[in-house]
Amino acid sequence: MSTATPLAANDKAANAAPADALQAWARTDWPGHAAPSPEQTAAFERFSALGLPHRRMEGWRWTDMRGALRAYAPDASTGATAESAPAAVIEPSIFAGLDPIEVLIVDGVVDLSALPNDMPSGLSIEVGPSQSLGAEFDDHGLAALTEAMSDGAVRIIVATGAPVERPILIRHICAGTSPAVAQTVSSVGENASATIIETFEGAGAFYSYTHKIEAAASSAVRRLVWQDVSADTVFNGLCTIAIGAEAKFEQTALATGGKLSRQETVLFYEGAAIEAHLNSAALLSDARHVDFTSRIMHRAEKCVTRQQHKAAVRDRGRAVFQGKFYVARGAQQTDADMQANALLLSDAAEANHKPELEIYADDVECAHGSTAGALDEEALFYLRQRGLSADAARGLLIKAFVGEAIDGLEEGEAAVFQAEIDRWLAGAGARAE
Amino acid sequence: MLKIDNLHVAVEDAQILKGLTLEVPAGEVHAIMGPNGSGKSTLSHTIAGREDYEVTNGGVTLNGEGILDIDPDERAAKGVFLSFQHPMEIPGVATMNFIRTALNAQRKARGEGEVSAADFLRLIREKAKLVGLTDEKLKRPFNVGFSGGEKKRMEMLQMAIFEPRFCIMDETDSGLDIDALKMVGDVVNALRSSERGFVVITHYQRLLEHIRPDRVHVLAGGRIVKSGGPELAAALEESGYDQFIEAA
Repeated sequence: MSTATPLAANDKAANAAPADALQAWARTDWPGHAAPSPEQTAAFERFSALGLPHRRMEGWRWTDMRGALRAYAPDASTGATAESAPAAVIEPSIFAGLDPIEVLIVDGVVDLSALPNDMPSGLSIEVGPSQSLGAEFDDHGLAALTEAMSDGAVRIIVATGAPVERPILIRHICAGTSPAVAQTVSSVGENASATIIETFEGAGAFYSYTHKIEAAASSAVRRLVWQDVSADTVFNGLCTIAIGAEAKFEQTALATGGKLSRQETVLFYEGAAIEAHLNSAALLSDARHVDFTSRIMHRAEKCVTRQQHKAAVRDRGRAVFQGKFYVARGAQQTDADMQANALLLSDAAEANHKPELEIYADDVECAHGSTAGALDEEALFYLRQRGLSADAARGLLIKAFVGEAIDGLEEGEAAVFQAEIDRWLAGAGARAE
Repeated sequence: MLKIDNLHVAVEDAQILKGLTLEVPAGEVHAIMGPNGSGKSTLSHTIAGREDYEVTNGGVTLNGEGILDIDPDERAAKGVFLSFQHPMEIPGVATMNFIRTALNAQRKARGEGEVSAADFLRLIREKAKLVGLTDEKLKRPFNVGFSGGEKKRMEMLQMAIFEPRFCIMDETDSGLDIDALKMVGDVVNALRSSERGFVVITHYQRLLEHIRPDRVHVLAGGRIVKSGGPELAAALEESGYDQFIEAA
């Protein structure tokens, strides 16, 4: 975990306008918001002290949230509310074909109207109070901001033993000029299973999201994330997952960027023999920026972690990967592997990788690898000799490279992601553009 | 068919081919033998269109048409096939999908219709049997986890499927056991026709026992220094290349 420090006085002076602008928005009497709870008031105070994360903080040196929002001045006269949410026609989700149970969140405003009358047995979805991510995140400025400004968290509860077959889709649309926040809290009971898909799309200003997942012992939770906000949108997503013994967790994330975007995932292993797979792919063009940051806290014995990150970067895109495996003293026989590979498709493309191992147990197998490079010229020549055009050969190699990150998905899910990879290869921007 | 005239090629500023002239008429198989570093692979890659090999002089025509100014994929569509000495492993690329995509790309460039998925499946299964590759191997990512011999079988599989007009086989025999050598011979002999030409690059005579060449050439110092009939290969096996290295 990076340690946030309050803005120094001179920083405050240098950045008075943006910090004040966002902090002026982050106030208790914002139009349309309910009165804050005592916890939210405390979160306000934490955010005021911490400010936005910036590049002088260890975990944010490549992803300067404060810098990206420097010129941003929220309009203090309006705020998104259930009444003011845009009435524009929203196209069906790219995951619609998987027949998901859908929750729509437009600029932080939750719409449960699409929930089916016949909810699967053992599943409930409702809106509850705002949610703290816990003391571990007290020094996280955006966690504090999101909690403080939240109008309530979507609560997904999967009862003990319930296998929820239909995927649950939490669909976020960024649409306004005001900042927006959203929260989800998920609880998956023992021996239960669920697939939660989260998508972030549209053209907004600044969107911050937290998701707190509790996966009980022997549960199986799958999480798919698709992030495709416009090139002007600043986005931050933070997901924490506490996992019980013998549970399985799989996460596959695909991101095409935004002006500056970050997906942070923190796993806490609370019991033995947990198995987790984390796959991510960043596809970047223009001057987009995607940051995948993760921290896996191995706190129990015999847990297995497999993490694979792929980034394909063209133009002046910038891909950041920061992965940390922490292995506590008692977490013997941990078996963990982290691989991050970047494909740089232009001279100005950039990838910043920071794989880290912090190990306090002596009977573990932990490995990490990191590569960055251009397409293999020998492979390109081979494919072209077989008849593929230069573009087709490049496309095939890029697809093959990125495709490894979606290998573990079910057929229908993989097809959705594959179509998005094809769109990107064809040169398309975000769907909202 | 294939005419190479006074070909000069530089690789990273080193002149490798220094005036190579060779003509392979349609229907013939020519073997090129020669010591290490004589330019055999440079020749094969230049014909196939490797862009970082600089042709400093000379020309190459296929059926009267110059091919040095066209892209590697256009050459493939015109029927130039290179069996690589060191075939690539390409993780993440599904073998059957790739070969079908390549076949259809070549056909499209020639104005021919695409081969349907069903027809392709029949075709690849038939040819895979011929080259000794199992269904399981076809389902793997391209060449991933294959032995050297299996990679060469994959080259022969593609040659059998594409039915190219001109085949260049760059040391296809290296690393092959006796059975695999015979398989290569069978594939080549099945493809031999009055409209197709072959250049078979090899160090050893043993492949030429399965593929009887019409002509044998010795490549040394970037030029063809001696040509003859099949008996030349046997003579080289006895005498070695020293005389040619000295002459070059």
